[in-house]
Amino acid sequence: MRLLRAELSKLNRPLIWGVAGAAAVFCVLLAIGGSANATSDARGRAGPLPSCAELNVPAGPACVRTRAAEQRRVNEINAGPAQVAAQLNPVAAGAEAAGLMASLPGALALALLAGAHIGGEWSGRTMKNLLTQHGRRWQVLAAKLISLWLAGVALVAACWVTLAVAGPVISHLDHLPDPHESARSALTLAGSQVARSLLVLAVFAAIGLLAAVVTRNTIGTMATTAAAFVAMLVAASLPGVASWTPATWVQGWMGFPAGLASVTALPTNFWSRFINAAGAPPSHLAGLAGLAALLLAATAVAAGVFRRTDVSG
Amino acid sequence: MPDVIECRGLTKRYGSTVAVDRLDLIVTAGQVFGFLGRNGAGKTTTMRMLLGLIQPTAGQAWLNGRQIPDPGGLASVGAMIEEPAFYPWMTGRRNLEVLALSGPPLAGGRDQITAVLDRVGLSEVAGAAVKTYSQGMRQRLGLAGALLRDPTVLLLDEPSNGMDPAGIKEFRTLLRSVAAGGATVFLSSHLLAEVEQVCDEIAVLDGGRLVEQGRVADLTTARTRVRVILNPGDQPAARLLLGRWPVQAAGTDELLVETASGREVNEALGRGGVWAHQVLLERPGLEETFLQLTGTTAGEVRHAAAAR
Repeated sequence: MRLLRAELSKLNRPLIWGVAGAAAVFCVLLAIGGSANATSDARGRAGPLPSCAELNVPAGPACVRTRAAEQRRVNEINAGPAQVAAQLNPVAAGAEAAGLMASLPGALALALLAGAHIGGEWSGRTMKNLLTQHGRRWQVLAAKLISLWLAGVALVAACWVTLAVAGPVISHLDHLPDPHESARSALTLAGSQVARSLLVLAVFAAIGLLAAVVTRNTIGTMATTAAAFVAMLVAASLPGVASWTPATWVQGWMGFPAGLASVTALPTNFWSRFINAAGAPPSHLAGLAGLAALLLAATAVAAGVFRRTDVSG
Repeated sequence: MPDVIECRGLTKRYGSTVAVDRLDLIVTAGQVFGFLGRNGAGKTTTMRMLLGLIQPTAGQAWLNGRQIPDPGGLASVGAMIEEPAFYPWMTGRRNLEVLALSGPPLAGGRDQITAVLDRVGLSEVAGAAVKTYSQGMRQRLGLAGALLRDPTVLLLDEPSNGMDPAGIKEFRTLLRSVAAGGATVFLSSHLLAEVEQVCDEIAVLDGGRLVEQGRVADLTTARTRVRVILNPGDQPAARLLLGRWPVQAAGTDELLVETASGREVNEALGRGGVWAHQVLLERPGLEETFLQLTGTTAGEVRHAAAAR
């Protein structure tokens, strides 16, 4: 615990506050943009359903089907503002924050933090201080991993708090309708997504940890970690393996909608849109198993490499 | 006195390069021990192996009687290896607090941090961010980190780099006080004059190998010689008369005799009817001894010290 306290003390640095601030600003800007999108789309789609002639479809069953499809699309657009209002509910905003931080924005933020917090021990040549005070390397590594994970959790909290404060203001300014969502269902949704994001953030942190012990410098850690996340998304588009890649495990575990379904007025994540929608994503359970295995594997490899590495800087 | 550092056949190879070659070394408790060698001789690598930062390729070592690597043994060891490094955004005091948190609890708590900052003369700037510190101040903070746990063994690698003369003098006094308190100081330095003043015993590494170990006074005395200045025409006769010692010519009118007794040289010459102009006893300093042991030139030694 003392070692963890030491690591948490090191996180109290300008870079961390900067990243947390950037995450908060990102979440607010996204909410502002999402709310504006939903409002303008709904206004643009106002008016009666087009006739068969206007749709260039001959009257009959084909026209009925086309008009029904158009009706569904209009309904979705009309429901957009209410959906965004529900997402910006102070409690439900936790789900939004968790989705954003358990996807690419959070992954890239953790890559940055991994570089500074772990890789920086080599670049700053402070690793020797740490190991001459505490020679049990696996404990040093565990403290690094947990503190980095907690930094990721703090980013979720920063985004949530910001949205909880800014969400109602944005809803009010954009005249979003009342979503008529109960506090209980908002809490259930937020609780579930935040809890799920904890595992994803742990996996992101473990990948950052592994990159740090392999590259042993700040920039190398940042670049390698970010590249690993991009590679995960690219791999998810490869035919044949798409359903069994880390990116789809994240998608399955977090319950992110597949493909274009994830591109909504206010996105719940920045992950699924990069993954080929062909083929069903793995279930929650398969996602859980895959991510847990990835977490253990990354941590074990990092520990194995670190145990044998000479600290010569 | 018990041995606090013991190396047996300690070796570190990097591919085909041998950084430390079958090092056998014993350091007894309560002394200031100088660890000397040219750049790349293997001093820092040896210290890093003792601290568990680098894994030996072969051989064994014991620190405070515990075979390395032994993380549990580090609590009684203070170390400053190469240039001290800190978290620049933190204050000096905060850096020490984080260092303290990284290991076992300090017996004296926060007061111990205050005391060690005072001991190295950093109390007044302890609240300033380390990024504002001069190199000398960083050295002092590094020393404070090494002294934080009242160690029984202190491993210091080039600790007086960047310090001003007053700082070096204070540092010398500090090391002597640490040794007087019963701790052992294992010190690597290029400042041979400093080492000569502060160390009880030294070991000299060259090319990763131990070439000499002993008390400073013994090593320099062993290399004491007599310089004889005489008429050039007397040199052949003088060489014969001084035949029981190794003799070298140093120009046409000078001989260097490998002995520590000028009186005996003078007597031998006098008995043979050769009268020298001068008979001078030359006791080499540590620098000259070091040069002889490592084959380094004086310029190289001074350059290395200045570059540090």
